Amino acid sequence: MPQYGMVIDLKRCYGCYACVMACKVKNHTPPEVFWARLLKGERGKFPNTMRQALPVLCMHCEEPSCLEVCPTGATQKLDNGIVIVDKDKCMGCKACIMACPYGARYSVEKWVSYFPEGLPLSDYEKFAKNYWEEKSGCGVATKCDFCLDLIEKDKLPACVEACPANARTFGDLDDLDSEASTLIRKCRGEVLNPELGNKPKVYYLAPR
Amino acid sequence: MDPKVNGQLQKDWGGLIALYLFLGGVGGGAYTIAAINSFLGKSMELSTTVGLWIGFPALLIGSLILVADLGNPSKFILAGLKPGTSWIARGFWIISLFMVFSFLHLVIHEFTDVNQTAGIMTVLAVLGIIFAILTIAYTGLLLGASKGIPFWRSGIVPVLFVISGLVTGHFLTMIGMVVFYEGASTVTQFRTMALEASIVVVVELLAILFFLHAAYKQPDSRESVERIMRKTIFIVGYFILGLGLPFLLMLIIRYTMTASGPGAILAVAFIGALFGLIGGFLLRLAILVCGALPTLNMGGFQFRRIAKPKDLKPQIGLMPPQ
Repeated sequence: MPQYGMVIDLKRCYGCYACVMACKVKNHTPPEVFWARLLKGERGKFPNTMRQALPVLCMHCEEPSCLEVCPTGATQKLDNGIVIVDKDKCMGCKACIMACPYGARYSVEKWVSYFPEGLPLSDYEKFAKNYWEEKSGCGVATKCDFCLDLIEKDKLPACVEACPANARTFGDLDDLDSEASTLIRKCRGEVLNPELGNKPKVYYLAPR
Repeated sequence: MDPKVNGQLQKDWGGLIALYLFLGGVGGGAYTIAAINSFLGKSMELSTTVGLWIGFPALLIGSLILVADLGNPSKFILAGLKPGTSWIARGFWIISLFMVFSFLHLVIHEFTDVNQTAGIMTVLAVLGIIFAILTIAYTGLLLGASKGIPFWRSGIVPVLFVISGLVTGHFLTMIGMVVFYEGASTVTQFRTMALEASIVVVVELLAILFFLHAAYKQPDSRESVERIMRKTIFIVGYFILGLGLPFLLMLIIRYTMTASGPGAILAVAFIGALFGLIGGFLLRLAILVCGALPTLNMGGFQFRRIAKPKDLKPQIGLMPPQ
């Protein structure tokens, strides 16, 4: 069974938000929910400073702290390493949101439109609302699932497909010949905050 | 690491969870004091009765508040089906068992002949005290299990909550005793409880200072400490009015109001206890709202989580005001 993971090359990422938008379009997440996000960081002191974009998403950790705190078994780790939420088992306690040090989980009380209240929903919005309620739902924890439905069709996650700089590489980390594991090995891939001990499956190639 | 460049504050656990943590503490604390006082016999009868009447209902109301705060309340029973897997699942059973023991203790104490049921009440009191302490500690362990909030990940939080639970339990019992005043014996019990409360308040003060000091030493939780020290609800609401004022009033009741009438003692006790109770709630609320996610580090960069804007509603499509 493959162990899926992702490599993000920060030397290539220029913070265009294409991944964020691709995730929104694919998963129809409502306002305030960003399964794929982009953080901006700074280094150095004026006048010698640098800014860097950091795309973040669910790290699909090997030892997920969200799994440890879930009281109902709604958070599950699949055989392929992807961490998912079974919305039918989630009681919405938000303990997993507090447990994730990467801030990858969200919960919305009710679906809201991107447009001002009172305006009729467009056909697209009706579709998006149904899609969200069917796949994720309100009042329960939601998160990135590496676009599991696309992976099952041998396609790439939406954020990987959309990246114009080819900064993202998705693949089987257990396969030493896969592009993802080769990049991690040859370019010294690092994970975010390894001291937390979650063993994330999303690796980063350090910026310059 | 610059503590100013730090994480976003959590927004998902707020007032209702703080109220739940508070009621868990006050219910467990009041019951513990009542159960201990029950071993002292008739001299502390009123405080025992009042404490028993507080324990079970406080936990019942707290649990209902917790269920109401769930995103999917109809599924709450699932939390009890996997005991041992998480702190919430363990808490489900700890609280349930505490509620059973405290309810049975209350019923037997109130509706049976005490002389005939002394043995069973002793067993219930011992079990009740164990589960009451576990219930209060659980409210801290629940926060401690949150790996995403370094400020809460401290072994001191459960200890602090147990101490605070005993303090607030004292105070709510004292308020109940004011309401159900039974004459001179009540005043004597007040003096005993005032001494007990002031001692536990000092222990709580030491615990909170130790907690804040330990958290400040950790870079990831330093921002939370800086934030909580700037919060009015914490400094004024908890420290000064919720801890300092009740402490002072309890000492006054104990040592300077020896010649005062019961009315004055009851009034001072009521005011002190009320402020102490509010302080206990504000302590939990401040700890919750100051919980910040850790900084993310990569390649020498520190990444700030952008706080959510207050109003995300877009303005496009709105007609300008006429």
